[in-house]
Amino acid sequence: MKSADLVQLLISGIAMGSIYTLMGKGLLITFLTTRALNFGQGDFLMIASFLSMTLLLAGVPVIVAVLIVVAVLVVLGVGLERLAIRPLASMTAGSASSLAWILTTMGFGMLLQNTAQLVWGKSRFYSPPLFSAKQKEVVEMMGARFYLEELIVAVLAMVVVAVLYWFLFRARWGKEVQAVSFDKATASLLGIDVRRVVATSYAIMAVLAAVSGILAGPLTTVQAHMGLLFILKGFAVVCIGGFVNPVGILIAGLGFGIVEAVSNYINSAFGDLYPFLIALLFLIARPSGLFGEMKTDVR
Amino acid sequence: MRHLRYLVAAVAIAVFPLVSPNPYFINLAQDAAIVAIGAIGLNILLGLSGQLSLGQAGFLALGAYGSGVLSTNHGWPLWATLPVSLLLSAVAGGVIGLVALRTRTHYLAMVTLAFGYIVEILSQRWVGITGGSMGLIGVPQLNFGDFGNGATYFFWAVAAALLLVQMMNDYVMRSRFGRSLHAIKESESFALTVGIDAARWRSLVFVVSAVTAGLSGFFFAHQAGYVSSDAFGLDRSIALLIAVVIGGLGSAYGPLLGAVILVMLNQLTAGLYEVSFYIFGGILLVVMLFFPAGAVGAVQRLFRRRSSAVPSSADVPAKSAQPTSATVPAAASASPSDAPILELHEVTKSYSGVVAVSAVSLKVMPGTVHAVIGPNGAGKSTLINVISGLYQPDSGTIRFLGRDITRLKPHRRANLGLTRTFQNLQLIGTLTVAENVMLGLQRGRSFVPGWLHWLVSDSEERADRAEATRLLRYFNIERLADSLPGDLPYGHRKLCELARALAQNPTMLFLDEPIAGLNEGEALDIMAKIRGLKALGVTVLLVEHNMSFVMELSDTVTVLDYGRKIGEGAPAVVKRDPVVIAAYLGTEDA
Repeated sequence: MKSADLVQLLISGIAMGSIYTLMGKGLLITFLTTRALNFGQGDFLMIASFLSMTLLLAGVPVIVAVLIVVAVLVVLGVGLERLAIRPLASMTAGSASSLAWILTTMGFGMLLQNTAQLVWGKSRFYSPPLFSAKQKEVVEMMGARFYLEELIVAVLAMVVVAVLYWFLFRARWGKEVQAVSFDKATASLLGIDVRRVVATSYAIMAVLAAVSGILAGPLTTVQAHMGLLFILKGFAVVCIGGFVNPVGILIAGLGFGIVEAVSNYINSAFGDLYPFLIALLFLIARPSGLFGEMKTDVR
Repeated sequence: MRHLRYLVAAVAIAVFPLVSPNPYFINLAQDAAIVAIGAIGLNILLGLSGQLSLGQAGFLALGAYGSGVLSTNHGWPLWATLPVSLLLSAVAGGVIGLVALRTRTHYLAMVTLAFGYIVEILSQRWVGITGGSMGLIGVPQLNFGDFGNGATYFFWAVAAALLLVQMMNDYVMRSRFGRSLHAIKESESFALTVGIDAARWRSLVFVVSAVTAGLSGFFFAHQAGYVSSDAFGLDRSIALLIAVVIGGLGSAYGPLLGAVILVMLNQLTAGLYEVSFYIFGGILLVVMLFFPAGAVGAVQRLFRRRSSAVPSSADVPAKSAQPTSATVPAAASASPSDAPILELHEVTKSYSGVVAVSAVSLKVMPGTVHAVIGPNGAGKSTLINVISGLYQPDSGTIRFLGRDITRLKPHRRANLGLTRTFQNLQLIGTLTVAENVMLGLQRGRSFVPGWLHWLVSDSEERADRAEATRLLRYFNIERLADSLPGDLPYGHRKLCELARALAQNPTMLFLDEPIAGLNEGEALDIMAKIRGLKALGVTVLLVEHNMSFVMELSDTVTVLDYGRKIGEGAPAVVKRDPVVIAAYLGTEDA
């Protein structure tokens, strides 16, 4: 492998990895507030990719398109919470209650997949590039050649990650999230509107899915069932990073993307297998991720 | 006759293909049976042990390809490929099960999802072995050499297998196996303290679910003579989940019913391919939100309104007479001797720098009631958790009956006769009061002998039930045997937990705040019961804040403060110890 190839692989890996990071963050944020992950988050991403592709092809300016996609996704996110998450809290502790969210969010995602299939059909689409003039605009820098699109995607994703970090750890809302995450009853006694915090967390999850969908569109093929792979990878990333630490998720996300890029380069037939194998082995070795989370449940 | 339904089922299986109007129905029944076999295993995994697998299709694929490849490409007979199929999926299940030990809910979902995905990719791309999505063609069909009546023979084979699996499932549901899984699902630390090796059970359950999936895959491979990798995607794993959920998670006949419903739905919606995701996604949502108990639950709600005779809390157990020899539980009689039954030497336990128990040494003499008291944060609960094995001490040794148990796993300690109750009650909400007590009776045959015995007689289960009833009678709550613990007032729940602890036939019993939250009458009743246990030779270690209770009942009192032992002796001595008074008892009004 030439070093120029290596740089290109790194950039491609980081670009995809930053999208997995965004997916991971989305999973984390709803996990913090409701101990539930949106298993349909990949389908949220898919809807965002389709929507932004359609809008861009129709000639809508990028900014407007982004705003529309984000708005639609937020409605979906809040709707998901209202429809598939909140009612579960009132369900009596039956045999299914602790896992019901996996099935309801997955069900919601299937509805989205079907909708996309009906609206856009079953074919694969190529989304127009967001930032570069033509499909595969190549930039040369210090002898290395890479796609401009990928570089910008990576940078933008990092900006979103930074904003989220600030939101969670520097802003008041973040403190409320931490309180709700620790104990809902106590949080509400402290005057925190738990419902609002929960709904907001689902809205943020949706925004993250919207951003990742918009950014992923030009890097991959868009089709109704594309969400599965993204949720799988985002899920792997958040598990490796650990369910407490946004920095862990960032490291895991970029790492996953880079490993994937290298693995695909080395072995095109089974390349997409190895990142998952590595993730699996990693989880066996460190079951609660890079920075850990586990508590013993002695009462 | 108890097993009439199995006979009826067997007859129905035998007759069905003969009376079926056309082969189409036989084919549907085959499909339903194949799904049901896998669903039953998934139901035990998810419904009973609470572990979700999103990768059952992976096990299914291993079963299908294991047999499919060997029989097609290597000419093995099917009776020889079947064990290989099952072994393959069992090994994979064991590996995933081991991972499951180290992970929990959402991580486990991830691990199984990734496993399923990896198997799917392998079956798609490893074309040399699997034929990929073009498929493995010319797989021998399971027709016992009679091609013309192949469908009938296949149905008989798969339905017989299903019947066998269902019978094993019924045994699990109605025996200590099912109860133990319920306990593991609700609280693993609790399961350990009643002597259940939770880790082993959890991974074994994975093997069981993998083997049923493998069996299902075996039949799948030999049904149509064609195996394509398209059959083993995530949607197959989801379909199994849907079958279990529609039928009724955790119920004995839910998976069977769910499989039938799923196959019928598939037929009804075959023409609606465009909206199939709407249908199945919608089913997931509607069932989980409105019918979490599934079809079985809905049917039960229609026909049998559970009359939960909830006693009012005014209905306090009457102050019982001293136990007569007929009602007394049979306790292990510890041989009276001068050697301490439990001995702690310099035990220290700290949590990330905070020392909760510091170099505490303690000797508990057999047949005594030994109390540990101290202000909040003194380390009392930590001490009990260290002794029962839920926490590992940082240093020091623990000896029980002369044996060093410092490194022994909690369930092994429980099986030695170290039994405990919890400060916050630990009762399994999905089991009745009697079943909770039966959890303490961890005895009986291992699975296969137990199952074979159960097929002819349910004497084992009846004996356990009789024993549980006897214990409940001892606590005057026999009439609550069939209630759920959640429906009981607090005092009765405490009694139920005590009954469970006694069922474990304790040599030594730890009681963590046994009368906290009880009224005086109930407290006196518990005191009488503890005295009765002492008379039987059970050693009691007690943590309690109620001083008059402690002083009246105990032979020895140990006082802890900030994790250190600051006093010990007979109650009368401890009460006058100035150090103890300063730290804990305070002035007269204590």
